[in-house]
Amino acid sequence: MFEEASEVFDNMFKSSFPLTLTFIVFLPAVLILVSPLPAEAAHEFTVYRMQQYDLQGQNYGSRNAILNTEARTVEAEVLSRRCVMMRLADFSYEKYQKALRQSAGAVVIILPKNMSTMPQDIVQQFMELEPELLATETIVPVYFAMEDDELLSIYTQTQVSSSSQGSSSAAEVLLHSATANGFQMVTSGAQSKAVSDWAITSLEGRLAGVGGEDLPTIVVVAHYDSFGVAPWLSYGADSNGSGVAVLLELARLFSRLYSHKRTQAGYNLLFFLSGGGKFNYQGTKRWLEDNLDHTESSLLQDNVAFVLCLDTLGNGDGLHLHVSKPPKEGSPQHALLKELQMVVSEQYPDVKFSMVHKKINLADDTLAWEHERFGIRRLPAFTLSHLESHRSAARNSIMDMRPHVDLKKLSRNTKLIAEALARVIYNLTEKQVQEEQLASLVDWLTTQPRAAQLVDKDSTVVSTLEYYLGRYLKDVKRHFVRADKRDPEFVFYDQLKQTMNAYRVKPAIFDLLLALCIAAYLGVVYLAVQVRGHSHYAHYAQILMPGSDYMFFSFMVVTVRLGNEVHALIFKRWRWDGRPAYVSQNTTSSSRPSLIRTCEGRFPESDIILKQLKTQSLLTAAHLTLDSHGAGWHGNVYTKWFTTCHFGSDYL
Amino acid sequence: MTLFHFGNCFALAYFPYFITYKCSGLSEYNAFWRCVQAGATYLFVQLCKMLFLATFFPTWEGGAGVYDFVGEFMKATVDMADLLGLHLVMSRNAGKGEYKIMVAAMGWATAELVMSRCIPLWVGARGIEFDWKYIQMSFDSNISLVHYIAMAAVVWMFTRYDLPKSFRLPVTVLLGLCVYKAFLMELFVHVFLLGSWTALLVKAVLTGAISLCSLFLFITLVHSN
Repeated sequence: MFEEASEVFDNMFKSSFPLTLTFIVFLPAVLILVSPLPAEAAHEFTVYRMQQYDLQGQNYGSRNAILNTEARTVEAEVLSRRCVMMRLADFSYEKYQKALRQSAGAVVIILPKNMSTMPQDIVQQFMELEPELLATETIVPVYFAMEDDELLSIYTQTQVSSSSQGSSSAAEVLLHSATANGFQMVTSGAQSKAVSDWAITSLEGRLAGVGGEDLPTIVVVAHYDSFGVAPWLSYGADSNGSGVAVLLELARLFSRLYSHKRTQAGYNLLFFLSGGGKFNYQGTKRWLEDNLDHTESSLLQDNVAFVLCLDTLGNGDGLHLHVSKPPKEGSPQHALLKELQMVVSEQYPDVKFSMVHKKINLADDTLAWEHERFGIRRLPAFTLSHLESHRSAARNSIMDMRPHVDLKKLSRNTKLIAEALARVIYNLTEKQVQEEQLASLVDWLTTQPRAAQLVDKDSTVVSTLEYYLGRYLKDVKRHFVRADKRDPEFVFYDQLKQTMNAYRVKPAIFDLLLALCIAAYLGVVYLAVQVRGHSHYAHYAQILMPGSDYMFFSFMVVTVRLGNEVHALIFKRWRWDGRPAYVSQNTTSSSRPSLIRTCEGRFPESDIILKQLKTQSLLTAAHLTLDSHGAGWHGNVYTKWFTTCHFGSDYL
Repeated sequence: MTLFHFGNCFALAYFPYFITYKCSGLSEYNAFWRCVQAGATYLFVQLCKMLFLATFFPTWEGGAGVYDFVGEFMKATVDMADLLGLHLVMSRNAGKGEYKIMVAAMGWATAELVMSRCIPLWVGARGIEFDWKYIQMSFDSNISLVHYIAMAAVVWMFTRYDLPKSFRLPVTVLLGLCVYKAFLMELFVHVFLLGSWTALLVKAVLTGAISLCSLFLFITLVHSN
């Protein structure tokens, strides 16, 4: 009874085996399938995205941040939907345009780790390209990365695989595809989106003069933000780190003078550090609106002697006073101009000082210099800069880093300005510009990028500037500019700094080749196992002598009941040949089994055994120990399987 | 890389097992559940080994790159438990010697394959990053199949009462080699600073040598009876 139950169970199991297998194999597979893929990259590096901003409704820069494509260099024939890698040394606008024309998936420009070692002409060329890169909006993401050994090796490998395409034969390409490494570039961040309600911070501080109610005010202005093709790389050392440094130094010097009653002068000094200067002087614009339109009393409303804007003062042998209207004889502006000329000619004869006159062009999208913001509001203003033209590429470049500021020249310029200012305010000359003070200021300013998108109101740049101003000036105030919600004058976008992963990949053809190789290997394994099986079991066939060791084979008996007669069909499957060599026996239940037909097996052993079986009449049930494995009547057919049948001397 | 690459690695790792199962005639003995039982024994033995290691072998926090010779040797000694496990499996299966050996080795090796290679393959070979190590891992699983068959054969020979005296020494030596093979390999790699492909080749050669020796002994033993 138990035996039958187990047989039934076995039958059931046999029929449901595929189902069980499905559960065992595929359920975990499906479970793992939904698990996320791990990020294990060959190389992980930080990339800085190109500017993306809207100014006065116009879109600029790269409009995309997501990148997931295979890397190529410009040498490759096909660039479409590939990530094109370029090194700064071989970067040119034509190559960049070629990549964009072929609808590349992305562009990654690799900048050298140490920019100062680059040849000057390349730096200059790139500086001039920067505004062109930004001038039009680019659909594909453009990233900048700092070169390191790993990235360089990725670049070289990509270059090798890119340049080999198309030039060699098909076999070479095939071989190459198996050996060379491809790289899949993937950024981890999300798509860029507009940052809402971004506040640009400006700072104001003052030194009050003595002597009456209506003192004239001198305003010293510098914008502190920097600009370059990638915000995270914009350190803006010369433009306008140097201007900020000069302003802070002037604040320090004059605060010392103003702290003594004896040296307090009849001028109010108003210092203004404006934000968003690179975005059409947004900070200054709002500050002027706040002071002139919305408040009752303000220093700006009353008696402004002049506004001195400081922009890019850290280098060069020239010093230019940019004005939108030549100052009139006798005005404080004119006095400053004269004093500047005097100081230059007396103390710094090697400085080429000049006045540059450029009218405000209201038709332009952007204003040229900061003083034009004041000029529009009819305040006498001018900008001091070592640059001759506002179009100079040096004002908006990521190449503008710390080495671009020559401390000696900065300090000389500071001295010069302080001297001239002091001569206007008093008639004495005894200020000490501290070069180390300037050095630390410039160093600090160039330790972090100060692009307007990165400096929010909680940033350390603003708070440190505020603290510094607060040490010397009175009434230090913050002014915020937020773009109008409905018609924003400027819009900034996020995702400017990302982590990019370079995954080593192989082309699809490589997988195919690999599949072929594996198939060949498995074929060899199959043949080897087969051959081994043969030789092994042939050996057993030979030792199957009367009185020798036992042997096994599988066995199936199908008994068919036809009327009163019962016929048994025995199917044997000899173990050693692996395929069924059928020995069917048709027998009635009473008679001795006799061999009716043998299928000729491929192997002589089966014949030997069959002969032995015949001669020794081993096929009687008495000599067989049958481990029955399953049995059952199916209609008129009773089937019984035997899996292990032992017979031989052990059982005789 | 791709699912296709995973398929490649999977085929390379698993098909030799399948071929062996089919061609060695195990499938005709309906030995599937016996193999599964052997696999379960594998799991049990590994659990015991882990508990033992965790209890008696505190993590050695030496300097990086320094090879803890004695510690690794002691850990390899714990692999003796594998021999016991294989013997347990074989003693529970009645049948002919080679049938026992094949069942034990197949179950053991397949359990190891499923437990230690399946998930790394799935997670790694399917990832974006290409690495040869998954192909190597698949080859390694083929080697370990051969290794376990040889190991089971040696254990079977060792436990026979009718083992001739002259066989005792070589079988014991082979047993030792089987147990300390992983340790020897690690030592090799450490001393000669082998690359991953060279290490795989050395492993294949070592395993091949062990298995040929044990096959020779096995056939001689079966012949002489």
